[in-house]
Amino acid sequence: MTILVILIPVTLLMGIVGLGAFFWTLHSNQYEDLSGDAERILFDDDRPLPAQNVQAPAKLKETPS
Amino acid sequence: MLNTRSDDSAATARPVSGSLDRAETRARMRPLRNGDGHIVFSLPGIKCGGCVSSIERALNARDDVVSVRVNLTLRQASVTLAGSDADPALIVDDLAKLGFDAVPTELSDGDSCPDDSTGRLLLRAMAIAGFGAANIMLLSVGVWSGAQGQTRDTFHLVSAMIAVPVVIYAGRPFFVSALNALRAGRTNMDVPITLGVILALMLSLTETLRGGEHVFFDASVTLLFFLLAGRYLDHLMRERARSAVTGLARLIPRGAMVRQNDGRFAYVRLTDVAPDAILSVGPNEPLPTDAVVVAGATDIDRSLVSGEAMPVTAKPGDTLEAGTLNLTGRIEVRVLRSAGESFLAQMMHMQAAAKNGREGYVRIADRVARLYAPVVHILALATFAGWMIMTGGDWQASAFVAISVLIITCPCALGLAVPVTHVVAAGRLMRMGVLMKDGAALERLAAVDRVVFDKTGTITTGTPIVGVVPSDPGVRSAVKALALHSVHPAARAIVTSMADRPAHIHHVTEVPGFGIQGSIGGRRARLGRADWVAQIANRPGTTVSPAFSFEGDKPISFGLTETLRPGAKEAVAMFERSGVPVTMLSGDIADRAHSIAGLVGISDVRHSTRPAEKIAMLDALRGKGHRALMLGDGLNDTGALAAAYVSMAPASGSDAGRTAADFVFLRDRLDAVPVAWQVARDTAVVVRQNFALAIAYNCIAIPLAAAGMVTPLIAALAMSGSSIVVTLNALRLNKMERRGPRAVASRDPVQVPA
Amino acid sequence: MMSNLTGAERTSAMLISGMGVVIGLTMAIVGRNDVMGAQGWIVLAFSAVVFFMVANALYHPEPTEDRTTSYYDDPTKVGIVLALVWAVVAMGIGVWVAAQLAWPGLRFDAAWSSFGRIRPVHTSGVIFGFGGNALIATSYHIMQRTSRARMPDQVTPWFVLLGFNLFCIIAASGYLMGVTQSKEYAEPEWYADIWLVVVWVAYFVLYIRTLARRNEPHIYVANWYYLAFILVVAVLHIVNNLAIPASLAGAKSYSAFSGVQDAMTQWWYGHNAVAFFLTSGFLGMLYYFLPKRADRPIYSYRLSILSFWGITFFYIWAGSHHLHYTALPHWVQTLGMTFSVMLLIPSWASAGNALMTLNGAWHKVRDDATLRFMMVAAVFYGLSTFEGSFMAIRPVNALSHYTDWTIGHVHAGAMGWVALITFGSIYALTPVLWHRERMYSAKAVEWHFWLALAGTVIYVFAMWNSGITQGLMWRTYTQSGTLRFSFTDTLIAMHPYYVARALGGLLFVTGACIGFWNVIMTIRHVSKQNRELDHPTSPKATEPVLPVAE
Repeated sequence: MTILVILIPVTLLMGIVGLGAFFWTLHSNQYEDLSGDAERILFDDDRPLPAQNVQAPAKLKETPS
Repeated sequence: MLNTRSDDSAATARPVSGSLDRAETRARMRPLRNGDGHIVFSLPGIKCGGCVSSIERALNARDDVVSVRVNLTLRQASVTLAGSDADPALIVDDLAKLGFDAVPTELSDGDSCPDDSTGRLLLRAMAIAGFGAANIMLLSVGVWSGAQGQTRDTFHLVSAMIAVPVVIYAGRPFFVSALNALRAGRTNMDVPITLGVILALMLSLTETLRGGEHVFFDASVTLLFFLLAGRYLDHLMRERARSAVTGLARLIPRGAMVRQNDGRFAYVRLTDVAPDAILSVGPNEPLPTDAVVVAGATDIDRSLVSGEAMPVTAKPGDTLEAGTLNLTGRIEVRVLRSAGESFLAQMMHMQAAAKNGREGYVRIADRVARLYAPVVHILALATFAGWMIMTGGDWQASAFVAISVLIITCPCALGLAVPVTHVVAAGRLMRMGVLMKDGAALERLAAVDRVVFDKTGTITTGTPIVGVVPSDPGVRSAVKALALHSVHPAARAIVTSMADRPAHIHHVTEVPGFGIQGSIGGRRARLGRADWVAQIANRPGTTVSPAFSFEGDKPISFGLTETLRPGAKEAVAMFERSGVPVTMLSGDIADRAHSIAGLVGISDVRHSTRPAEKIAMLDALRGKGHRALMLGDGLNDTGALAAAYVSMAPASGSDAGRTAADFVFLRDRLDAVPVAWQVARDTAVVVRQNFALAIAYNCIAIPLAAAGMVTPLIAALAMSGSSIVVTLNALRLNKMERRGPRAVASRDPVQVPA
Repeated sequence: MMSNLTGAERTSAMLISGMGVVIGLTMAIVGRNDVMGAQGWIVLAFSAVVFFMVANALYHPEPTEDRTTSYYDDPTKVGIVLALVWAVVAMGIGVWVAAQLAWPGLRFDAAWSSFGRIRPVHTSGVIFGFGGNALIATSYHIMQRTSRARMPDQVTPWFVLLGFNLFCIIAASGYLMGVTQSKEYAEPEWYADIWLVVVWVAYFVLYIRTLARRNEPHIYVANWYYLAFILVVAVLHIVNNLAIPASLAGAKSYSAFSGVQDAMTQWWYGHNAVAFFLTSGFLGMLYYFLPKRADRPIYSYRLSILSFWGITFFYIWAGSHHLHYTALPHWVQTLGMTFSVMLLIPSWASAGNALMTLNGAWHKVRDDATLRFMMVAAVFYGLSTFEGSFMAIRPVNALSHYTDWTIGHVHAGAMGWVALITFGSIYALTPVLWHRERMYSAKAVEWHFWLALAGTVIYVFAMWNSGITQGLMWRTYTQSGTLRFSFTDTLIAMHPYYVARALGGLLFVTGACIGFWNVIMTIRHVSKQNRELDHPTSPKATEPVLPVAE
């Protein structure tokens, strides 16, 4: 299976890229608050626009959809 | 995963309110390089994502806030304010409006973010080991599936190239620990682990170079991966408990309001407060150091310091200890000793000196390792000798078999047996509202044969309640109107006991040390000390404080009582029933100590004990070979908590108490204590079962290995298999919870005369 | 839409599409003696249309919109509509292919309409046309929302979306003309492959640039799934399509590998395409839209991260199970089998995580067909990953391989998991994207759900029966040791199942048509809702949250 000479290094390389990505996430505090981060996508429309950019007065929406 | 959202409503931090607190809050803000200020608040009230978004939204709307981020896991808010002169106390006010009590948290000095380097190191080692294990596994599965000849040799070579750096990096925590143990002339679980991993690696390397058939790269790397996973979970559990305990911390004063030469008071750091300085201490502020009152009068809550349940009055000339809480009036005090020599500091010294209660304790895993390691190593040697004789000196084959004995004896299950069980137990305890600081404490708790309770704040809740509510609604509304103007615990108890609408009141004054006086419906009325109230009453009445009277009327009292913690009686009964004698150790006077002891059913009572006596008593118990569990909350208990074999403190206790204790229980109920003890004993059983499983497995595996019948595939299967069995057995702890003893149904709190 | 581009952006868009015209023309001239010439004309026409659309808006006034206060949703919208168009067309062709098997006369005796040519149009159409467009569109939405930042520019997203669709069109039209390199899911020839690499690199760079601009410190887990999808698909695509063109003037090329080496590469690619195209990306969709729609955080966020790494690792080596009992060395087959079985653990962790998220919100699942799409998708994901692991076991494979069981398995995954999660996500996304109060017809969503579910169940059951019958008939011997059934016998036995399959497919495509209609009606007729809250975080809150140092 000479093809494995190509496939295995390619896979190992992808693995090393993945490992590097994981180390980067550790370095950039990606796992500081997992329970909060899971919640955060639910309120991504939480902050009203800065006043000067809103024509109508901003009102808070009841439920994000 | 530990997915716990415990209900710790009993533990609320003291909110920032007074001028000292505001000054303290300002002092906690740290300037950033760009000129902004940064401060971290602990917000124990955050429960869900909704709170996160409402806080962030509200604070971001402020002009002085640059950015804010709430951490739901740690229940903290990290706020950056524009300009280092911005006032963080305003943020506290805003948070209070949203319904969250905020306390600035202590960031250890020089530590800009609350990261945890050990956890990261473990996680990084685990990621490396996981990467290595995954890729070596792939190559190994290829070989086990029948790859031969050059392909196999190539795979072995690639595995070697992955395994060597991975083992060197990911194995460090074990190697270091093993080396330290050996240097100290001891042996622990990491010694056989290290030996197994390194020998497996060496053997595999030589086999690879020889073009041999069997290599154990996957065994050594997978072993490290599993063990690191166990160790990381264990670390995570302790880290979580630690951050939960930190979250309970109140605002320990780091400074005081000191009179300057011009007569005004200014905030000064505690380390800069010299003896003879004059301090101003407002209501609801703790004394920062030992001092004598020079002006003003007040009531002082000494319960955390001395165990006395009821506040005492303080007037000029009285000496106050550091750590006592000023309740009602503003006083000026003259500093007697610097903070480093205060009562509080002495308690800390005493605690440090007493920290021998658990000295000499060897964790069960290490005890097992002491037996296991020599046995296994002798067996491996014997195997080597046997094979040398049988093969007529083929040392390579003999070494191969001997090392495969070391590998197959699989320290994996042994290494996982304890941490996995403790992680599950910690999860179960946390659901019950008990925080566990480390696994060794759990092992010691299981072995307890004596229980020692402190009284105030431990058996009782420390907050009084009203026993006799006046029948006359007019009196009730007048009393309530007066009581609303004081923060004295008795006044608070009176307010909560009466649902009436307070009467209209004029000319209210609080006379610190005496009580509150006001005019209701044109009549003078007083609420407070009985002799002081009697001055305006013209008829003889009660002599029990606190009392109330209209001018010229008959004084009445309220039968103020201390409250037992719910479940206190059941807790004592549960221990006594299991044959564990219970002792009460109180700093309070004999009367109160005996009456409480009688109510909960404790016969062995020591009263009026000073901190040193408490420690001496626990030392005496240990001298007699007893293993005592100490429960206490106050500053005066910290030494005893440290001196005990194992200790527990309520979340409502002093910071020092919580720091000294091995366990902290968050809820009001005291029967969490025997239940936690039960969990500890269940855990001990499961740990022992796990060791039995690992040993039983070894009894089968060792003969096979010694006979030279073990291949790397069998080793890999055995290792994963035994680890899974041990983990599953640990998970049974959660099942025991369901059929474990239910907490006794709650009843009305029992009351005792104060 | 094009007038939302700034003047500079319009110029560069025209430059790029102008280059497309030139490339198309070159292909047409150089390949005039080959089918490549015809493909060149298609490239030219496509690029010219884009060129004129931009040119038409060239002198429109500059956009006045404040870009810091809004997300860039135009390409997302187009992507969603394109995905639905591809769904209707490619699924429709699928029904036709299925019907051809039951009634061979439906071929109408044309060369282009033969089974071998329109089947890849169906597979590529649904996987790349429908799935790919849906993935690109939802990733645009998710990367911006979870980063709370707008995409860095307005040309790259269009380049990626339209470039990818150009690839799909070249592929599909090529199949009809007989252009194929005969690799499953990688049929397009060398020039299309090179083009896809260009588009894909731009896509990856766009994603990273958007993440780099993020105003939210945490990168939500869905982004990791999308990134793995983009990155790994790129690597797989490049390795598997290493080929040498017979001539630069013609479509034909020869693979760099030969024989079983080529087969191994192909299935290393093929199964990982399932893993990273049809699983990873769609899991990203699931992890964003399911919690969003149910308004509950994912049950265990930690588990979603763990299963990400699990899936990434175990999938890589599962591919050789496609080559059981072939010239592939036995041990490589065993390797693939082992990893396929172990793959079950992270797969079920994901499916379980999704379902546990809904635990406590079952009333919402009952009332909301959109959420039900996602729930059923998670169930089918669990079912088909189990089936996949089971079928990868060599003795089971002896019965199942080359039979319709495989087709049933693929469609349980493709219809039950991929299509249902996509439709669910589209229904959740459409009102948000076009700022509408709701979908035009909730009843139509309900109809679509039941049609899709019924279609999938009928399809899968028909193929299970057919496949197992087929497998058993093929291995039945007479006493004298000869085969009991002739090939024709098996075909006759298959016929009722093939009819049922065509029916199941028809129900499914009917549902897709209803969905398409519903989305269009929502865009055109549902009243607008002012969503002043759906915008990137204001730069005020983008300062570093933790102090850098004292």
